[in-house]
Amino acid sequence: MLARPGLPDFEYMKAESPQDVFRLLEERGGEVKLLMGGTDLFVQMRDGNESAGILLDLKYLPGMKDISYTKKKGIKIGAAVTLNQLSAHPDVTNHFQILSQSADTVGNYQLRNRATLGGNLCNASPSADMAPAALVLEGEVSLSGPDGERVMALDQFWVGPGKTALKEYEFMTAVCFPNPPSGAVGRYLKLGRSKMGDLAIVGVAVLGYPDPEVPAGIRFRIGINSTAPTVYRVPQVEELLAKAPLSDDILRQASGEAMKVSAPIEDVRATVLYQKKMVNNLTFKGLKEVWSQLINS
Amino acid sequence: MKNSEPSLIGQSVRRTDAIDKVTGCAVFVDDIPFGPNLLHSRLVRSPHPHALIRSINTKKAERLPGVRTIVTGKELSARLGLYLIDRPIFASERVRYYGEPVAGVVATTENIAVEAAKLVEIEYEVLPAVYDPVESAQPDAPLLHPDLGSYTVANFIFPEPGTNISENFKIRKGDVETCWSDCEAIAEGQFRLPPIEHVPLETHTSIALSEKSGQITLWASSQSPFAMRDMIAQCLGIPHNKLRVIAPLVGGGFGGKAGVTMEACAVVMAQAVEGRPVKLRLTREEEFVGTSVRQSLVSDIKVGCDKDGTLLGMELTYYFGGGAYNDYGVNIARAAGYSCTGPYDVPNVKADSLCVYTNHPVGSAMRGFGMPEIHWGLEQIMDQLAEQIGMDPVEFRLKNCVRTDDEIVSGMKMTPIDLEACIEKASKAIKWEKKEKPTAPNKKRGKGIAIMWKAPAMPPNPGSAAVVRFNEDATVNVEVGGQELGQGAFTVAAQIAAEMLGVPYESVTVSYPLDTKYSPYEWQTVASRLTWSMGNAVKAAAADARTQILETVADHWDEEIDDLTIEDGLVISFKSEREQPLDKMVIYGLPNEDFEGWKGGPVIGRGHFMPTYVTNLDPETGQGTRAVVHYTVGAQAVDLEVDLETGQLEVLNIASVYDVGRAINPDLIMTQIEGGAVHGMSSAFEELKFNESGEVLNPSFVDYRIATIADIPRKIHGDYVETPIDDGPWGARGVGEHVMVQTAPAIANALYDAVGIRFSDLPLSADKIYLALEEKINREK
Repeated sequence: MLARPGLPDFEYMKAESPQDVFRLLEERGGEVKLLMGGTDLFVQMRDGNESAGILLDLKYLPGMKDISYTKKKGIKIGAAVTLNQLSAHPDVTNHFQILSQSADTVGNYQLRNRATLGGNLCNASPSADMAPAALVLEGEVSLSGPDGERVMALDQFWVGPGKTALKEYEFMTAVCFPNPPSGAVGRYLKLGRSKMGDLAIVGVAVLGYPDPEVPAGIRFRIGINSTAPTVYRVPQVEELLAKAPLSDDILRQASGEAMKVSAPIEDVRATVLYQKKMVNNLTFKGLKEVWSQLINS
Repeated sequence: MKNSEPSLIGQSVRRTDAIDKVTGCAVFVDDIPFGPNLLHSRLVRSPHPHALIRSINTKKAERLPGVRTIVTGKELSARLGLYLIDRPIFASERVRYYGEPVAGVVATTENIAVEAAKLVEIEYEVLPAVYDPVESAQPDAPLLHPDLGSYTVANFIFPEPGTNISENFKIRKGDVETCWSDCEAIAEGQFRLPPIEHVPLETHTSIALSEKSGQITLWASSQSPFAMRDMIAQCLGIPHNKLRVIAPLVGGGFGGKAGVTMEACAVVMAQAVEGRPVKLRLTREEEFVGTSVRQSLVSDIKVGCDKDGTLLGMELTYYFGGGAYNDYGVNIARAAGYSCTGPYDVPNVKADSLCVYTNHPVGSAMRGFGMPEIHWGLEQIMDQLAEQIGMDPVEFRLKNCVRTDDEIVSGMKMTPIDLEACIEKASKAIKWEKKEKPTAPNKKRGKGIAIMWKAPAMPPNPGSAAVVRFNEDATVNVEVGGQELGQGAFTVAAQIAAEMLGVPYESVTVSYPLDTKYSPYEWQTVASRLTWSMGNAVKAAAADARTQILETVADHWDEEIDDLTIEDGLVISFKSEREQPLDKMVIYGLPNEDFEGWKGGPVIGRGHFMPTYVTNLDPETGQGTRAVVHYTVGAQAVDLEVDLETGQLEVLNIASVYDVGRAINPDLIMTQIEGGAVHGMSSAFEELKFNESGEVLNPSFVDYRIATIADIPRKIHGDYVETPIDDGPWGARGVGEHVMVQTAPAIANALYDAVGIRFSDLPLSADKIYLALEEKINREK
């Protein structure tokens, strides 16, 4: 049935240390939901899909809102960094432009004041706008659990719609991105039904960089959302593009391959056929734009 | 009387409500505090589109702590309605749409009401449902209202008991059958338009309080507090003076807050908990499933012209999908019937305009009331016919459009308009003659035009009343019963009063909130009728007050009224050049010589307006002397481009030109034009989507996408023409709805110009456009 008028009653708690989190999860396990920006969780609670006796806020744990950058290691972004912070932070805009570009496509400005990078990735929505860029930047997530910290490549992190590899009691503390290869150019193309505030019907992130080792002279990484149970890369397409000198025909062929890999489902937003065609067209457009920019620079 | 040129009419004075709204001081229903005494409520809604109710068990829910009462329709046999009284307040025997209220739960908090609503046990026997109005009009369709024959109905509405047809309006004019043989070209087509939502920013909210004395007060977000009072009072057997409706400012109506939606539910719940106010506030999701929607329409159109492009005949069948209850919708089908040809001069017409029950949400008034629906097909088929005969769409329209004094489809003589001027101005504004390049190589560009007409669709005699009340310092309170929905009705009322009274605009205040206990009567804030009808009433009330003042002063000075006028708050004599300030005298009057007694007294002007000249139409032919009070006409021209890679449309320029009779406040017209263009776009791109079980699939802004600020046209060109009518203030008529009536077909015509594909069904989603483009490319290969 329909969403309720407001949120159901819950208790709000702020975690001061990871130990707080583990202790509470152990004691009150089933009742607890971990809270980041809440931009999805609150909606789900209102819709009756999620319930929680306690919302445990992780945003104030040490380091969760920090961004640190080094030339050697790349960037580490706290899981609770908001999308508006990502959009404007000089280390992000200078070195990981595709991240801030992706952040700008999410919802609207007000929502991006609350929505976090960690939340967007942990939510594991097939249409997550941050995910294609995070994938092509080959990010790693830092996960904290009662047994300690572990690091996992993002392409291992999502296991299905709304499902991640997070173990019980585990939560994400940060996302690390290595510096992109020298000369890299990135682009995230999002197709929505309106220009602002929509979910991605299809979103394609393309990262390209010079690589003299391959016949194409350029390597591409492609991440796609909204058209499979999880956000995905298309390695076979990336290989195909590396193998031969680039041309519009090759780009078109590659886009066609990406379309074949895509597996959208029919929903209220778009038909299967349209979504597949859009994977094709946006992939081509993204590749073409990145390629042109690489040639011109 | 005053003969000089009006000084305030035609001025874009600042809105009366601008500061309140910009600073957040404006009060809407939900802002009114009621303290701890306030109870909250939720409605239990049907999960089926069509079912019989076998049983309702409220026992479990009643036992939940905090629950005060649960109301069902068991003891409420009376029905609600304006034109056809067919709608129960709570369904008790049968539900007819997904989301129909079956019970109401009152509790101390909203959350308790939510939980209690889940505990109400209702057994249903599911019945076959029907959604398509054409299917529903067939004799073998599942019958939604077996009791249709026993419903009370207005004398100009003709339901067909034993079927799902709630209204069948007929036009039989000239001889259509034989005209086809004289036609050089004939175009035929079927066009479909889905239900859409009004999506006001403020969802429907009401608070009701029933007191021991029998007094009932209802605070409601309402376009029409008087119609609301009338409908609820009649239904529940409450004397009108015991039911008080208070209607603060409305946060968006678009027709969705005309009549009664959910407010009667609040009243019934309040009656069950005497002495405690009960609040009912709909969620955004309920706004989509549980309030009225614009009706769907399937139109079959056949139209023919001679070799010169002169229209000879039209044959039309309109099937309006009226939804579960057609208490308002029947009049939409009727309005579509007597205006069925659109703004064209057609000698031979056969038309049937049907309103048909379906298991969809209740169809009702939405901006334009029947006109956006019929113009969607009409304005496309005119382009098709023009193309067949080899004429330019603008030229074709200039040739065939309706003109002043033409005998139009209902047999009435066309009221003064200049549609040609609108067409010429609109086409010029988008450089109609010029084929322009798209802004990028992956795009195609096209231009389209569409014209419209619309009359206020209402009973023959809806009245307006106004009171003009002076204060000691000669400031003025204007009291009206018409609502401020954002359209600027109060501003126009203040302007008219100030102009007539000869006082500064700034010294006039329009009293609100509207309150049926104090405000003068107004039929409804619908049909773009306030500037015209309420404007006439305010003008009359101000004239009355003015006469009272001049009589007192004339008497005082021993002069003739005709030699006096009021300017800038001073009574002036042309003859003696004497001056008398208004302040004090408008309350205390003026003393006689040597204070031997006094003259005058508190000045209160009253005025009303009611059209008295609308006549009946023949039920078999739809012909009569005067079907409506007047028509407003206009033209919209669109310059757009299509992204061939995504199917997305972008409107580059939309030019809207309407004949407003007389522009009282040009800025307010422009804001209507801008809002209408954007609203019209949204109406072209979105629809309510249902699954096979009649459930709304997109009941929120997640998946019901209306244009955002980023989507609005790059340019909106607004203009107007002034051909005054006889019965409007300074010749003015309304333009609030008209500005979005033909936007969708104008877009469709431009789209055809750009890519050569005609889309007969709304919405124009990027998905649909893209796949059609591909199909065309494949076909042409």
